[in-house]
Amino acid sequence: MFRYIWIKEMKGELFTWKSTLWLIISSLLLSFTSYSFLTNKELCLLDQTEMLWLLGEIIVGTGLLIVAIDASSTVTGELENETVESLFLSPMTLCDFVLGKFLACLTLWGFIFIVSVPYMLVTSAGSRLGSAFISYVFLLGTLVVIGFILLVFTLSFLYRSSKNTLTTSLIILMALAVPAVFSSTLKNNPFGWLLSKVNPVDNAFSALDNVLVDGQTALSQNWPFLLPLLIFCLLMLAFMAYSVRCFSSEGIIRNE
Amino acid sequence: MVLIWVCLHVVANSVEAEPQASDKSPLAVQIGSTRSLNGTAGDYVTITAQIRNTTSRPIDKVTTYLSLADEETKLPVDLEDWSAEKGLFIETIDAGQTLPLQWKIHFVKPGAYSLIVVAEAAGNDVPQTSTITRFYVKPKHNLNPGHVLPVALGMPVVLLFIMVIVTYKRNSKVA
Repeated sequence: MFRYIWIKEMKGELFTWKSTLWLIISSLLLSFTSYSFLTNKELCLLDQTEMLWLLGEIIVGTGLLIVAIDASSTVTGELENETVESLFLSPMTLCDFVLGKFLACLTLWGFIFIVSVPYMLVTSAGSRLGSAFISYVFLLGTLVVIGFILLVFTLSFLYRSSKNTLTTSLIILMALAVPAVFSSTLKNNPFGWLLSKVNPVDNAFSALDNVLVDGQTALSQNWPFLLPLLIFCLLMLAFMAYSVRCFSSEGIIRNE
Repeated sequence: MVLIWVCLHVVANSVEAEPQASDKSPLAVQIGSTRSLNGTAGDYVTITAQIRNTTSRPIDKVTTYLSLADEETKLPVDLEDWSAEKGLFIETIDAGQTLPLQWKIHFVKPGAYSLIVVAEAAGNDVPQTSTITRFYVKPKHNLNPGHVLPVALGMPVVLLFIMVIVTYKRNSKVA
């Protein structure tokens, strides 16, 4: 049953020109960035590896932002528009509903990744890091996006309001992304170090740095960054399971 | 009596002035890198130098740093972007001891430059400098601007084309 929800969401996303405009804007952002990196007098002084790292951060960051905004309204939209009641009249479980919505949000990240592949290929030309760059952007981006979708869904089931969910999601995203772009000297104190170790966005960016700048391309060399990301995903899954449980015990129409 | 006093005063002054004259070069600084450090903008190069205590006593608290000047504008260059290691501090240099110095610099802007290494010892008013090393930084040729332009322009156009087709198909289906 989850497939119906997934396809319905995808049709809604892609079948109007307004709903695909974000993909073109993302593409323009990547066009501008990669063209500036390779032709701008000042920016092209960067090492190619650092250039790839920055581009990787922009791709993952853009994906996170778009998915966070979309995920904020996908569940709450059904609740606010009262379409969820008719959905649950069909032989569909809450698990199908969540899984379909989850896959739809993840597909958006898939689209952003597919659009970014030509940019990754052209900027990594001649560096021998092309395949590692594309693979790690996909792996790290997917892990951090999965965790973030689950976090936004948790908020959606608890708040049942798209405005509150969107505001909270964007604040959390900012709170995680801003320290991730701090210089390494700011992470030297114990608090900064601890924050960088538990921050999923920081771990994703640090793993990209490890792969692209330090040349540690083997998966075994990136476990210190991948493990916190996996823990983040599992933790968010547990939180979402709890919020779904609360939602089903309270019922679709909450008595307040 | 007055003449004797004047003579003694002159002799005393000359004795006081003597240490200043002999104090002029306790340190010798020499750049070890090639005299010409040519490269391309964006390159990282290592400047090596040596500092030697030419006296028979240890010298404490020595600070060494680079001084870079643009040969075309005749202005000193701010090393903010050029080098992460601005100054190297040496606690003590023993009598006759030679120590290596090393700076990693990033060629930021193309042009002709002159570089010297300066050493300052605590309590000494006269800094020691190395000989001038002149180098030329060539402009960087971009990586592959010929390849990026088709992708940078092509991707949004391709997406726009796909969007138009999808919208057209949807509208014809509805009609």
